[in-house]
Amino acid sequence: MPGGGAQRFLSGAQGRLDKHSQLIAALGGAALVALVAVTVVAVFWRYILNSPIFGIEDVSTMTLTVVVAASVAYGAHKQAHVGVNIIGFAFSRRVTRVTDLAARTLTFAIAAIAGYALFAKGSCGLPCGHITSNLAIPHPPFYFVLGAAMLSYAAVLLFQIAIGIANWTGEDPNEMRG
Amino acid sequence: MDGSALAALGFAALFVLLFIRVPVGAALLIVGAAGIHAIRPQASLPVLAGEIFAESSSYALTILPLFILMGNLAGISGMSRDLYAAAHSWLGHFRGGLASASIVGCAGFSALSGSSLAAALTMGRVSLPEMKRFNYADSLSTGAIAAGGTLGILIPPSAGFVIYAILTEVSIGRLFIAGVVPGILLTLMFVLTVWLVVARDPSKAPRSLQPEPLKARFAATLKATWIIAIVVVTIGGIYAGVFSAVEAAGIGAMLAFAACVLRRGLTRDGAAEAVGSTLKATGTAFFILFGAFVFKTFVGFTGVAFALAEWVESAGLTGMHVVLAVLVAFMILGTFLEGFAMLVLTIPLIQPVLESQGIDMVWFGVLIVIVLEMALISPPVGLNVFVVKGIATDVPINTIFRGIVPFWLAMLATLALVLLFPGLTLFLPNSMFG
Repeated sequence: MPGGGAQRFLSGAQGRLDKHSQLIAALGGAALVALVAVTVVAVFWRYILNSPIFGIEDVSTMTLTVVVAASVAYGAHKQAHVGVNIIGFAFSRRVTRVTDLAARTLTFAIAAIAGYALFAKGSCGLPCGHITSNLAIPHPPFYFVLGAAMLSYAAVLLFQIAIGIANWTGEDPNEMRG
Repeated sequence: MDGSALAALGFAALFVLLFIRVPVGAALLIVGAAGIHAIRPQASLPVLAGEIFAESSSYALTILPLFILMGNLAGISGMSRDLYAAAHSWLGHFRGGLASASIVGCAGFSALSGSSLAAALTMGRVSLPEMKRFNYADSLSTGAIAAGGTLGILIPPSAGFVIYAILTEVSIGRLFIAGVVPGILLTLMFVLTVWLVVARDPSKAPRSLQPEPLKARFAATLKATWIIAIVVVTIGGIYAGVFSAVEAAGIGAMLAFAACVLRRGLTRDGAAEAVGSTLKATGTAFFILFGAFVFKTFVGFTGVAFALAEWVESAGLTGMHVVLAVLVAFMILGTFLEGFAMLVLTIPLIQPVLESQGIDMVWFGVLIVIVLEMALISPPVGLNVFVVKGIATDVPINTIFRGIVPFWLAMLATLALVLLFPGLTLFLPNSMFG
């Protein structure tokens, strides 16, 4: 078990991550409602009013990026990103605490690299032709939202690494079960 | 190092990463990005960012969160209870009728939800206590729910079909329609399995209900009208060509929301649960898709898929040989790999081989999804089994796996039928799309 100072730090970090996750859920929920609304409006205008809305697919796809970004980040907070748990059946915690540290470090690295890559590519903006095809909605803000989602995932993993190390000799609350 | 050797190294690395519990999407991203870096260093970061953005902004993939939301709203609305009650009123008086009703309920719920886990969880909560009350054997009741739940990824809308369609660039609508007849066939096979199990050992379903009057049965069916209406509008709309699959998903989600409101089933907690579950499932699927497409690009760069296609041709193997080999490999992989992981690992490698052999990718997609269903109930990692175990906490996991065996065999029989008679799959999509 971690000492008092470390325990307080981890509890504080957990609280901040929980608030962060609620915020992401609210953003994702709003984007989800918007996605349903845009799709229904598009169908209504096309089939009932017989007047398709030009470029509505652009609105749908950009709304989808926000839904996806929120989903990936929220999924990270809720440990929804699935893995394969064979090692847990075959080896004891003595082994899995080491492999879990390696797995989280590698996942942290790729999430951080992906976040960086999204910010870097998004920063190129208009000169790189990053706009939607019909309404010319600029892509960069959506690259940044996705980049932030990947960095949020990386932050969660960093926290899990710290928790795993703090509970090195005991039970890791974030260990994959089942 | 030549492309094929690099690809082999990539696959080996992927299995090591999966073995140490790296999330599936992350493992694919790591190997894909590292592999691309080894071949074209300057392309790795742009491909990584480009694929993530491309999948996140794919219009075709809009379907995923919308259908997932529709299923989750249906789950909280109480419609699943009405559906089970309707199936119960028609089938409950037969031997093993409650188990059959659970399976039919799962099939109905599957037409609203693309998730097998959601179907097993929702229907299990409703039907397991009922079967317990009537002294059904634990193996039969839990086996029926775990197996019935797998119908979620075969009966449209299906998340499995969406992922497969995106990977292979096959029409989602065509795949959805192709899943209808095999979905109904598998439902009937499951019901037949219940009947056979109970005929062999009547103690597994010792009590039957009195047949309900016809009026009561129609009344129960009428109460399930919401679910039937949503299914007719969404799936019927796709079949009739009124909606695209994406539009059907949006309309379905709106109708499910309307049903929740009108039935007074929408509480603040329920809405939060539906949104949270939708975000989690969407995040899981998209993160795997990010990895799948980066990995697919790496596999493409190595040229191994075409080397494999040439080898298959030179070895004189036919398309049917390849299909059989893939199905057997999936059954084995399914005992320890997650379903979507199997899809994204193998499809980029085998698609060129199958296409060069003239295999219909819609038919193959249905076969693959049936095998994925088998994986969902195969020991030791069959996810549906753990979902059912989560509801039936007092039933040992071995009892559930024992109960699943007859249903697994029913799936194998259905697989054989679909394999031998491609018309079962292709008749509807061909009659609609030509």
